[in-house]
Amino acid sequence: MSGVPALKIEKLTKTYSNGFLALDGVSLEVGAGKFVGLLGPNGAGKTTLINSVVSLARPDTGSVEVYGKDAFREFREARRMIGISPQEVNLDKFLTVREVLTFHAGYYGVPRKKAKEKAEEMLERFGLVEKRDQRTNTLSGGMKRRVMFARALMHDPDVLFLDEPTAGVDVELRYSLWGYVRELNRGGMTILLTTHYLEEAEALCDEIALIDGGRIVDRGTSADLKDRYEAGNVEEVYMKVIGAASHR
Amino acid sequence: MQTIVPQILTSLLYLVVFGIALGTRIKEIDGIPYLEYILPGIALMSLVTNSQMNSSWSVFDAKRERYIDEVLISPMSDLQIALAYSLGGTLRGVVMGTCVFLVGIPFVGVGVENPLLLIVIGVLASFAFSSIGTMVGALATRIEHISFLTSVVIQPLTFLGGVFYSVGMLPDVLRLATYFNPIFYTVDAARYATLGISDLNPYPTLGMVFLIAVLAFCGAWLAISRGPNLRY
Repeated sequence: MSGVPALKIEKLTKTYSNGFLALDGVSLEVGAGKFVGLLGPNGAGKTTLINSVVSLARPDTGSVEVYGKDAFREFREARRMIGISPQEVNLDKFLTVREVLTFHAGYYGVPRKKAKEKAEEMLERFGLVEKRDQRTNTLSGGMKRRVMFARALMHDPDVLFLDEPTAGVDVELRYSLWGYVRELNRGGMTILLTTHYLEEAEALCDEIALIDGGRIVDRGTSADLKDRYEAGNVEEVYMKVIGAASHR
Repeated sequence: MQTIVPQILTSLLYLVVFGIALGTRIKEIDGIPYLEYILPGIALMSLVTNSQMNSSWSVFDAKRERYIDEVLISPMSDLQIALAYSLGGTLRGVVMGTCVFLVGIPFVGVGVENPLLLIVIGVLASFAFSSIGTMVGALATRIEHISFLTSVVIQPLTFLGGVFYSVGMLPDVLRLATYFNPIFYTVDAARYATLGISDLNPYPTLGMVFLIAVLAFCGAWLAISRGPNLRY
């Protein structure tokens, strides 16, 4: 797979049925094993972009490839490589924590025995062992986040989408999450992160893409961006790029 | 247990109220004691109601709470997703129908003429109505849409589907109307398999049940891939 980008998005447009143009010709390439931050204000198109890759949103035009596999024509192969920890909590309230994990593995065709082992590993890793037989609706917000994170990793994805995974999460969990995400990235996993915590993005990501009004307005390493905008940190870059755009 | 027991009690009530109360007046239909005559239909009523309720609520709840996204973003195709929900409801319907039938037997003492055919009809009918449930769950945008299916469509159709009478006993207009009721074909076929008697020729009826199942599943598939608030 060397040389093939993990994610290749070309000229993606998406208009919602209410006429809102969420993606306005987005092109974005993410190299294999990279850690990319996607930053932008609410409604900029971050979630729509992620959802378009897995066909939860249906783009009007454009193409998406995941490690060279067409995300629409070869959706099975493409989606099998992707794990998503979504922005909104979406756990089946009737299932226990362990069931959430093993069912997810089943959707991705992971053999039952392997799924069981992986679930144990994830429960251990995310401090969920004591909660494993509890229904998800009895968990606290932070615990739910952990479950969604563990779930996204159950099928050993090659590309991980983290859509504001630390929104409403306490400091301790945030640190442990980021530690683990770094470890996954070092192990070769490509990561696309959206977050409002700009200092986190700066610390974690190899590259940052700024999205606004359904377009990628700029991208580069945080050092490049800081140079280009003569800024002291990514937050200043963000304010200069997005702030300027929103005042136009 | 809390799912199965109340359902069985309801079905037993039907047997008691209709079978014993009406049975003193209608002694036999087509030479079969009335209680025996209605048991296959009552089991089928339970099967139909349960299969469609299970799948419609499963899909609707998953959609409302967005955990259906987990399924939609997985490598499964829309066809597989529709099939999975429909088969889930089919299993529930078959289990409930079988329970009602088995519990009813001591009261009625009915034997089964053609067990294999009864199983085929039970599974097909359950699949057909579970598929309708999947379709409606996927199309529904409000909870009322689901209760509409159960109480305004399925319930009346089960009562008018020849569970409690032979269509031969109906005036021409009502008999003709009954031919447009899909539940009638499943009840009639189940009665043939159990008692060896039916209003219609059993094999075309079986074909009709098969056709209903295929059409309903196509509807479920289409609804899962195109329904509102699924993929947007």
